[in-house]
Amino acid sequence: MATRLQFENNCDIGVFSKLTNGYCMVAIGGSESFYSVFESELGGVIPVVKTSIAGTRIVGRLCAGNKNGLLLPHTTTDQELQHLRNSLPDQVVVQRIEEKLSALGNCIACNDHVALTHTDLDRETEEIIVDVLGVEVFRQTIAGNILVGSFCALSNRGGLVHPHTSIEDLDELSTLLQVPLVAGTVNRGSEVIAAGMIVNDRTSFCGSDTTATELSVIESVFKLRDSQPSVIVDEMRKSLIDSYV
Amino acid sequence: MPRKPRRKQRPKSWPVTFSPFARALARMASVSKPNRRSKSIESSEKPTRSSTSNGSSKHTLEERPEGSESSDGEFDGVVQADFAFFDPKPNDFHGVKTLLQTYLDVEEWDLSGFADLILEQTTVGTVVKVEDDEDEGVFALATALNLWRYREQRCIMKLKEFLLLKASQEKGVGDQLRLLLGERAHNVGLLVSQRVVNLPPQLLPHLYDSLFNEVSWATEDEPTEDLRNSFQFKHYIILSKIYKHKNAEQQKRKRSDDREEEIVYVKPEDEIFHELSSWSFCFPLRTQQPAPHELKNYRSMGLIMTVEADKIPTFRQQLTSLINEG
Repeated sequence: MATRLQFENNCDIGVFSKLTNGYCMVAIGGSESFYSVFESELGGVIPVVKTSIAGTRIVGRLCAGNKNGLLLPHTTTDQELQHLRNSLPDQVVVQRIEEKLSALGNCIACNDHVALTHTDLDRETEEIIVDVLGVEVFRQTIAGNILVGSFCALSNRGGLVHPHTSIEDLDELSTLLQVPLVAGTVNRGSEVIAAGMIVNDRTSFCGSDTTATELSVIESVFKLRDSQPSVIVDEMRKSLIDSYV
Repeated sequence: MPRKPRRKQRPKSWPVTFSPFARALARMASVSKPNRRSKSIESSEKPTRSSTSNGSSKHTLEERPEGSESSDGEFDGVVQADFAFFDPKPNDFHGVKTLLQTYLDVEEWDLSGFADLILEQTTVGTVVKVEDDEDEGVFALATALNLWRYREQRCIMKLKEFLLLKASQEKGVGDQLRLLLGERAHNVGLLVSQRVVNLPPQLLPHLYDSLFNEVSWATEDEPTEDLRNSFQFKHYIILSKIYKHKNAEQQKRKRSDDREEEIVYVKPEDEIFHELSSWSFCFPLRTQQPAPHELKNYRSMGLIMTVEADKIPTFRQQLTSLINEG
């Protein structure tokens, strides 16, 4: 199920939060209602951690992670690093890396099996990604943009990419990532997908400007709709029954 | 929608950003200003009053400020731009929403709904953009919304709550504000005017001229009598931001030749509005942006004031002379 919300009148919630299958990180300083939406959806299943990175609230764009690990930029302070190590589950490896492209969330898009990265990322960083996140790394662009982390949202079940991605690119990326991909928008036509929404295998959160059409595309590509027997029957009826007598 | 013939913009070759012109303007602002500024301003007025456009008049302002030499090699200080004034369009949603981001301080409210409201009112309302800009960035916005016409909208209700809450701490004005927002709302317009910080001030007289002209044309051109009456504003409410000196009380006791002023107006026309206002009050803002060095002794405050509609011609005159001499 996809939930709409906003952070202080700002619909770019992917900037202020990060969601994976193992944990969720939220920026401090937002209103309690922002935090409580996450708590009510995820509470008990995965920990919701309030934090800052490098003293800023843009936690979603500065870090990259999945259920295996979390990568932090070199600007992260020691206290923040310790706080994250304490609050996240033990199986999550938290590592601070020396990479000059410090907005890791903008440079790396990943799920639990595969990652797309910025073409200019260091070799060392790529190796660390393979080790810590346990993924296969591909250097790619999306619709000609090198900030792959900004223009795509990825889960283990599907992905949403920049609206101007060509069909050939979609096919190529889909083969690499081994998940179905769809080109679309979020927050009423915004192309910066990862800023407007966050997703994991069970749930997704989008900015409150997201239209009903965009939301239904998100729910369908990430397979978030509750599958009721009636839905399946209705959808199959058309293909099974040719004509009524 | 009537448009006027415009010259092509010739951008210099600076780094491509999402809005090359905005980036150039930002650089201009950081470059030291020269002592003399020669401006050439062309403004041709074409009051087209076709039945479809309801009397909207669009101005082209050609702005050619000259900058001094900069430390950056590729930028030689001359920016050419054609600003154009447009009726609000649904496409402008994101630009308008960005400009209104801090309108109600940190309050969570239906900002998207408010932006939609402004964009739907095409008869009165102006959006300033750069001609032939691919990104269609919105640089400024001006409109007047009748508080009675939109009283059922969630955003307007929240806005009224906000204003009344801020007024409750001020003696006297609370009741007057309640009247304006309640019984007298039929003739009260909320004047919304937001812009990017470094918009050339030469545009302001034209922007306000076009806004108040549209208001008076709407009183004649709107299809129904209700709508026509809804633009017969008697009062305008303005919600704005100013910088007030932190030691405002002490200032009054100091010598009169003290150089620092008590209030610094972010928008130049606010000073004129403030003088002409029937009443006004300030309230502290919770968003404290890092102030530029010159303003380190100041604190940003919100300002709510109300201006009678018959003072508007005086305002227009004073604004023109203020901008021309500055």
